[in-house]
Amino acid sequence: MSPFELVAPSSIAEALALLEEEGARPLSGGTALMLMMKAGVLRPPRLVSLRKLGLEKIEAGGSLRIGAMTTLSALERSPEVRKGWPVITRTLRTLSNVRVRNVATVGGALAHADPHMDLPPLLSALGARVTLAGKGGERAIPVEDLYAGYLETTLRNELITRVEVPALGKRGAAYLKCTTRSADDWPAVGVAVVLGGEDRIFVSAATDRPTRIAGEAAIAGLKIEGDLHGSAEYKKHLVKVYLRRAIDEARNAVY
Amino acid sequence: MRREVQFKLNGRDVSAQVAPHESLVEVLRENFGLYGARESCGQGMCGCCTLVVNGTAVSGCLYLATLAEGARVDTIEGGTELDAVQQAFIESGAFQCGFCTPGFILMTRQLLDEQPDPDEQAIKHYLSGNLCRCAAYPEIIEAVKLAARKRRKA
Amino acid sequence: MKRATQSTETPQVGRSVPRLESWLKVTGRAEYVHNLRLPGMLYGKIFRSSVAHGRIKRIDTSAAQTLAGVYQVVTSEDIKKVVPDPYYGPAFHDQPILAIDKVRYVGEPVAVVLASDPHVAEEAVHLITAEYEELPAVYDEVEAVTSKAIVHEVLRPAGTFPDLKHLKDRKNTNVALDFHLRRGDATAAMKKAAHVFEHRFTTQQVMHTPLEPLVSVAESTESSLTIHTASQSPSFVRIEIARLLGWPENKVRVRVPFLGGGFGAKLYIKLEALVSVLSLLAKRPVKISLTMEEQFFTITKHASTFRIKSGVSKDGRILARECEVWWNGGAYADIGPRVTQKSGFTAPGPYDIEHVAVDSYALYTNLPPAGALRGFGIPQLVWAYEGHTDLMARELGIDPIEFRRRNLLREGRPQATGTVMKDAALEKVLERIETLMDWKTPLNRGTGTVKKGRGVAIGFKACVSPTTSLAAVNVNADGSCIVYCSTADMGQGSDTAMAQIAGEVLHMAAESITVVHSDTDVTPYDMATLGSRSLFHMGNAVKLAAQDALSKLNFLRKELGLAADCPIPDIFKKKYGMQAGNVAGAGSYIPSYKSPDANGLTDNATPFWMVGASGVEIEVDTETGKVRLTRLINVADVGTPINPKIVETQISGAAIMQLGFTLHEKMVFDAQGQLRNASFAEYKIPGLLDLPKEIINEAVTAEQKTGPFGGKGVGESGTFGVSPAIANAIHDAVGVRLTSLPLSPESIWEKLK
Repeated sequence: MSPFELVAPSSIAEALALLEEEGARPLSGGTALMLMMKAGVLRPPRLVSLRKLGLEKIEAGGSLRIGAMTTLSALERSPEVRKGWPVITRTLRTLSNVRVRNVATVGGALAHADPHMDLPPLLSALGARVTLAGKGGERAIPVEDLYAGYLETTLRNELITRVEVPALGKRGAAYLKCTTRSADDWPAVGVAVVLGGEDRIFVSAATDRPTRIAGEAAIAGLKIEGDLHGSAEYKKHLVKVYLRRAIDEARNAVY
Repeated sequence: MRREVQFKLNGRDVSAQVAPHESLVEVLRENFGLYGARESCGQGMCGCCTLVVNGTAVSGCLYLATLAEGARVDTIEGGTELDAVQQAFIESGAFQCGFCTPGFILMTRQLLDEQPDPDEQAIKHYLSGNLCRCAAYPEIIEAVKLAARKRRKA
Repeated sequence: MKRATQSTETPQVGRSVPRLESWLKVTGRAEYVHNLRLPGMLYGKIFRSSVAHGRIKRIDTSAAQTLAGVYQVVTSEDIKKVVPDPYYGPAFHDQPILAIDKVRYVGEPVAVVLASDPHVAEEAVHLITAEYEELPAVYDEVEAVTSKAIVHEVLRPAGTFPDLKHLKDRKNTNVALDFHLRRGDATAAMKKAAHVFEHRFTTQQVMHTPLEPLVSVAESTESSLTIHTASQSPSFVRIEIARLLGWPENKVRVRVPFLGGGFGAKLYIKLEALVSVLSLLAKRPVKISLTMEEQFFTITKHASTFRIKSGVSKDGRILARECEVWWNGGAYADIGPRVTQKSGFTAPGPYDIEHVAVDSYALYTNLPPAGALRGFGIPQLVWAYEGHTDLMARELGIDPIEFRRRNLLREGRPQATGTVMKDAALEKVLERIETLMDWKTPLNRGTGTVKKGRGVAIGFKACVSPTTSLAAVNVNADGSCIVYCSTADMGQGSDTAMAQIAGEVLHMAAESITVVHSDTDVTPYDMATLGSRSLFHMGNAVKLAAQDALSKLNFLRKELGLAADCPIPDIFKKKYGMQAGNVAGAGSYIPSYKSPDANGLTDNATPFWMVGASGVEIEVDTETGKVRLTRLINVADVGTPINPKIVETQISGAAIMQLGFTLHEKMVFDAQGQLRNASFAEYKIPGLLDLPKEIINEAVTAEQKTGPFGGKGVGESGTFGVSPAIANAIHDAVGVRLTSLPLSPESIWEKLK
């Protein structure tokens, strides 16, 4: 790893200012960032820790408001989340491993833009919105609008400060993923489904970003590439199978 | 540029001169001669580098030592006697080469702190991020169950 | 065995003694070279080739050299100043310490940066550049036979191991070794057979990935060297380093503490020659500690292609078999030639076949080198012949176990080499699998999208021969005992086993015995810790050494006029007037062996056989091709288990490791020979969630009469049958036959759709 400066501002404005330095990166949980820095893929001269910005709160009352620096473990253990959005609790159980969840944050998970991750498609299907803080102020966008492509976000020198998930109510929801090698692997395919009123279906992992589809017919048009997890043809087939299974699970979800 | 970092290590107040890019595993080895946490896969996937920071298990090879400032750091070397988990691992023969063992033991302690009576599925999920190439997995599962029983008795 | 009332009445052998090093391992205090730091030590980081095959035109280390904190940058030019002919290897002296003139695979070490801060060294490696004139490369083992891309212009055989002495100097070929066995006339017998079956099987390149990555440290004076290394073969390291330097053996010391896993990766020379020369150049201790990623560029397991053809009689008796095996050895031979030869003669399988022809070839290709990996070629062979067995049984409408029973080698019958089978419980193992699998009860395969299936497979292995182990046993003035042997404890429990054996002889509790780890200044010669040989060879040596010590004690008792059961401390007190002195026993063991003749035949091919079988019950999700194991049953013949608990965990561990090679693991290369998945993120080894629902491991009741207290090795036996058992089960479940590893869900789905 090449040397860098580590700073820990106590306000968002300060953080944004520090991030203006060329190549500076925000540091939340650090899991993904550390991996890229150790691999030499990223060589930021400055890391701006977000740990002192007070963004760790989980509030549930109607909708679920999650501070961006909430760890995935905290989210997993939250009784309010289990009660109102059990599909999130279930999904977190197989998200990476416990040590990662202990330090990785919701904001970090969303900002990394790795299509293999579980939370982006699930939160997109749940209709969640992220609040972004930039020099010009705040704005809120649907989670799915965060993504421009593989590891590419639409953030314009902004920080995710919180995620707001509308009440799930009685709607059936499910997130399924398919790993094709060992169980603890990045998935080849992820499908998030929330049924009721307007069905929200998002495909991930096989696609370069969480991609909304109306139904099975849209799968043929998805842009999918083969990789170590499977060929394009196989992955397309898996999307079909897992879509069906996710819809079944969502339909049978009991609260 | 090295900076002094002060923290509690296995219950004692310590300090170390730390460069920003140094991981907690590196600092514990270089500065404190503690080798129970080991960098193996370097990606946080194998668990050999498991450390407990402020009561939470983390991958030490991905944890910047600077961030341990003011924290409570606990390693496998802490404690004066073998606890229920360590004893259970010995009695169950739950290790072979031993390289992954400290990681498994620290994670097991965390698991049993959170879930005193985990079933096999819970054990497998909680420890899914700890790899053992010698594949002592069946014995490890037995050890966790035995440790849970030992803890309940105590 | 009659026992005097000495320290303990409890038998040592046959007892599940908890591992001696338990406290060390559960408190994180076990010593591994991974942890070693020496004063003044420099870290070495390796600059590696980015092309699969090329002539080195230029290496530019100037920028690296000027980086602050860099001590030295070393290339082969510097190496040659210390070692003029810097090529090593157990079979061929074909591997340069750092690349000379050519690079032969992506990842080959080309230069090293030395610095006291490993981060600086790593940074400097990124500043090195090299230019290559690229040459055509070859990656496939069968293609390599006739390819114009020649990996080595001249082959350079070594003479280190007696069984490889016959290797001839060869040119213009990628065939490093060809092994041939002819018994009877397979071609003629095939023509007369009622049925002829031919199949082709392949396996993939994988890596051992011990969790302690390869690591070595060397410190030197001007005329001596100490190498601390994670090695399974310290004696070989000493001999080879001494040879390279032109020094006597006693000036090279090799120390090995615990290994954080080995599985065959940590054998012969890996980093030892490099750190030794670097230390002599830098005049400071040097440590090279590989990352997990770098291991993939150091040593791997042979990919293989096996063409197998059998002539079978009307009633399902195999009359003739032809085996043609191509082993993908990668860019350097390492121990590949022995894999080719030693597994070559068991390629026909544990079957009673009168006419056999085996042709086994070790090939050079432009891939990372392949060497020993748990099973040493046997898993690849069993993969083929046990898939072949099931296919034939199905064709003939004979139950798979019944078909095996009809053809299995029995005690007293000659194996393909002509060696008569002795103490190989093949039949017993097969029967036990049949019972544990409840094979006679039909299996309901299911009518939905999830189909059930089951399969079995049985394999066997010979032990590499002839090899020697020596041991020493000291009994101290207070009656305590120390065992000295160069066997490396890499998790297989060798320390404990040797203590049990010595304890059994000396009537001492195993827990009371100290086992000194490999230190070639102290522990005597051992061929190496590999191929499941240590329990048998070193166990016998330790037993002999303990017996020697015991007879010396008994002699002292007589000489001093003491009672036959006089406590040991009293002997010394009587002899020396105080607590002083010790009795040293020595033991040396080499089994009998006869080299194969020109036809590959011999009546004494191996000092013992290993037998392992597996049975599995699986579920196949026909919509996705995903396989779930509901039952994994492993049965082995280990002779008399010295430590039943450790034996069980060795069978289990080997089988679960083999699951990884069967279902998940594969080194994937692009068209330029570039490895795409050299990390745990993309090379997936089994974890807790991959375990079969039920696992049963058993050692049948058996005795290896020539083994110490009836015992023999177990470390590899659990690997033999796993892969073909699963393929056989998949065939049983969904009628699909896979002949290539790994058995990915996609490969199953491909055949189902």
